[in-house]
Amino acid sequence: MPHPGWAAFSFDGIGTSWEISTPGPLDGGQRRRLLDVVETYDAAWSRFRADSIVAQAAREPGRLRMPDGAGALGRLYRNLYRLTDGAMTPLIGGSLEQLGYGPDYSLRPRGTPVPAPRWDDVLDWNDAVLTTTAPVVLDVGAAGKGQLADLLAAELRSLGAGEYFIDASGDLLNSGPVPVAVALEHPYDPGRAIGTLSLGTGALCASAANRRAWGDGLHHVLDGTTGAPVRTVVATWALAEDAMTADALATALFFVSGKALQQDFAFSWLTVFSDGSAAYSAGFEGVLFE
Amino acid sequence: MSFPVRKSVFVGIAGMSLIGTVAGCAPSAQAPAAQSAAAQSTAASAGSATSSAPAAASGYKDGTYSADGNYVSPNGTETVGVELTLSGGTVSGVNITQHPSNPNTRKFQGEFAGGIAAQIVGKSLDELNVSKVAGSSLTSGGFNQAVEKIKSEAR
Repeated sequence: MPHPGWAAFSFDGIGTSWEISTPGPLDGGQRRRLLDVVETYDAAWSRFRADSIVAQAAREPGRLRMPDGAGALGRLYRNLYRLTDGAMTPLIGGSLEQLGYGPDYSLRPRGTPVPAPRWDDVLDWNDAVLTTTAPVVLDVGAAGKGQLADLLAAELRSLGAGEYFIDASGDLLNSGPVPVAVALEHPYDPGRAIGTLSLGTGALCASAANRRAWGDGLHHVLDGTTGAPVRTVVATWALAEDAMTADALATALFFVSGKALQQDFAFSWLTVFSDGSAAYSAGFEGVLFE
Repeated sequence: MSFPVRKSVFVGIAGMSLIGTVAGCAPSAQAPAAQSAAAQSTAASAGSATSSAPAAASGYKDGTYSADGNYVSPNGTETVGVELTLSGGTVSGVNITQHPSNPNTRKFQGEFAGGIAAQIVGKSLDELNVSKVAGSSLTSGGFNQAVEKIKSEAR
């Protein structure tokens, strides 16, 4: 609980656990509205369910009408696709399935890594309309959880609950104004932390290679240009105004330095490497333990 | 998760022993690249004349030596280059450069300048006064429950 006496609403959504904390308990109607937001998002974007919109794209090329918010997601992805030279891409789903991270959760590689198709070869993402020219496995996992947190925050505000704290399994969104003390999980030991910070209004999202790891050197952060798991960066954190941006940038930090990303995004960053070293921007100064 | 933790500790130890190993092998690693420095030093010259007086202490000629070493990181074997500068039989400078084969690793080289560099240090969550954990892809709710369970079992 972010603050003593607050009430929590916990549920599972898009394959992970959520906890929404508010000063007073949410009633049944409010909870249903929030769960509807989750269901709408999952039904559109989950590549793990056969009835989702993106599941159609995996079966055959065509034109997909996505829900509101898809435009912002697409523009963010397109920007990061450019900044990472194609390494970060929503077309990474097929590469993930090749390594065993598909709907069947076999977690067994089907063969050598397969690069994602080039964006301009197969996909036209025009606001909320996606047009594909080949079957593609879309995966917006790098920003989707953050975007859903933002959508839930918007729903809370429209329900009159302007003060909230959303915990999307370690990706955090604080409405403010009261800051919350947050530990940064140690990349190799969930019982430990490598630092603490006070999260004011805004989002703090993390990405790490140790989670959802399966097999030798295989994890879920793949380089779209090779289809193989990224090495060397083991954990990242990004602080931004909204959770979608923070979530996406936490992944982008696996491919591009924080300094380079700062030229296009107003955010703070912390990157931890596999040798235990770390680099960070001024916003993370004094956060790490010494 | 105890497996990666052990490895992470191992990296530190490997890093330390690496310098010792490379220093020990330095003379045979590569021809000195800075002989002129030795020529200017009388002590070193005397050493050379008597077939190396500093050698009595160290056995090494002044100069710059470089060698590569391997260490095992949690993500596999990586290679570091170590460059030592010896003068008067003691190490006057050490440069460590990473030049791993992986292109992503290579990309991050030199980008350290983009931020503030540090070495991570872990602290037990027990010691911390926090209400939330920012981590990745693991429920911090389930995480907190697990921590609570461990704590209660340990009592």
